[in-house]
Parts: sequence; C-alpha cells; structure tokens
Amino acid sequence: MATTAQITITSPDLMPGSALNIAPPVVTLTKAGVNADLDQKLSGVIKVTVGDPTEHRLGPLATEMAGDAHDIASYLYIKNTTTEDATYYIDWGIHETMIGRLYAGDWMFIPWNASDDAAEIEIQAIGGTNIIEYCLFNSDVILPTAA
Amino acid sequence: MATLIPTLTLSSTDATTDLLNFSITDSLNITQDVVGPSKVKLTTSDLEIGPTSYGKSYVYLKNTDDTIAINIEITDGNSAFQLAAGEFAFFPWTGTCGIVAFSASGTPYLEYAIFEA
Repeated sequence: MATTAQITITSPDLMPGSALNIAPPVVTLTKAGVNADLDQKLSGVIKVTVGDPTEHRLGPLATEMAGDAHDIASYLYIKNTTTEDATYYIDWGIHETMIGRLYAGDWMFIPWNASDDAAEIEIQAIGGTNIIEYCLFNSDVILPTAA
Repeated sequence: MATLIPTLTLSSTDATTDLLNFSITDSLNITQDVVGPSKVKLTTSDLEIGPTSYGKSYVYLKNTDDTIAINIEITDGNSAFQLAAGEFAFFPWTGTCGIVAFSASGTPYLEYAIFEA
C-alpha cells in the first residue's frame, strides 16, 4: 500500500520582499525503520459532541495492535469541517496533554507512534457539535474482543 | 497581518480500490510572531523549539535526515510523536505547553517553522 504525502506552505506577504514557499519532497509513508508499505487505512467522518464523555479517543490503543506493531509509525490526518465561528473548535492532544485547537476548516497531519496505551490520540469538541473527517494509516491493528 | 496557505496532498493507488488522491488547503491569518524556516542540529538532549511564550500557533516540522529519527515531546513530560527519516508534521499548537526536540541518536537536522496567529 504505497501512500505518499506532500506538504507545501506558502505566503505572499509573511515576510516583506521574500515570499514564503516551503515545499519539501514527497514522502512515502512506510512502517518504522523499513521501506515496507503500511497495511491499513481507516477513514471516516465523525460527529464529535460535547458533554459526557467530553474526551473521545481517535484510533486504536497500543494494546489493540498486534505484536510490536503498536510502537511504529502511523500517520494521522484530521480536519474540522465545521463552518461555525471561533467558539466552535476541536481540542486535540495525546493522552492528557492538550496540544492544539482545530478551528473551522483547520487540518493537521502528524506521524504518530502509539508507544503505549497512554499515547492515544484524544479529541474534544468545544462550543457545540463539530464534525471532523479523519484518515489514519497504520498496520496490524487487531479488533478488541467482543463482550 | 499575513496569510499563510498550507496544503497537504495524500495519494495512493492501492490503499483501497477507491483511489486516494486528495488535496486539502487552508488560509490562516498570521498576526503575531513568526519563526521563519529554520534548520537546527539536534543531539540526544532536549532542544526547546517552541517556548510557552507563544499563543495559538501553527507548527511545521520536518526531519531532514536520511536515517535517524527525531523525537518530539511536550514539555510537561509526555511524549508526543516521532519523525522518522524524511517525515514531516503540521499541526495547530496552543502554546500552553512547550515543544522540545531531540534525536534518537546522532545529530540529525530538524527543519521547522512556527506561525503565531
């Protein structure tokens, strides 16, 4: 499963006399330390509500991944599709550490290694229901045992 | 005030039978401090690249090394994620917690930029 990612960051007016144009080469997303392609892709659109529970987990826990597969590179894309004002946003973080806020139309892309169950991706809706789209590329996730 | 335009493109011909090929962009207002594209040599010791004096910001990180991984951590002691060789990240950051970087080994170079909204 060869998946590639590329980012560009431009600005015509950030620095006078020098247009910003960050454009690194295309990156092929692979398993950690090797050139093997990733196995799985999970994607979807989720309505994130406020209230109980306030924090939601996105993606599997380390113990839900097979063998050593948890401590490898996964890649996560999230976009907040809300069109509401700045009182609506998604807090995102890793475990109990809130790192940033995705306002209307904002997106993020990070590599993510679930080193243990305390490294899970958490999201929380603020202001009201926010709808996100997400895509997670990883490998060897096993489904939890049914109750 | 300046406009920052980040664009992400994800492509795959075989992730699923539904061809993956999308591009997402945004238009961000940058009104405060900026750390322009910078490149620093890392060691296995912490290097603070994002101090808590920043407010709401956007962070770009790229590991320019061909082999060595770079660890990114939040300064409250929680690990965040690892940039393998060549990998990048772009994410919003509140500035309430600092960002540090250190190498898994050796002295790889980290390219980074911070844009405060």
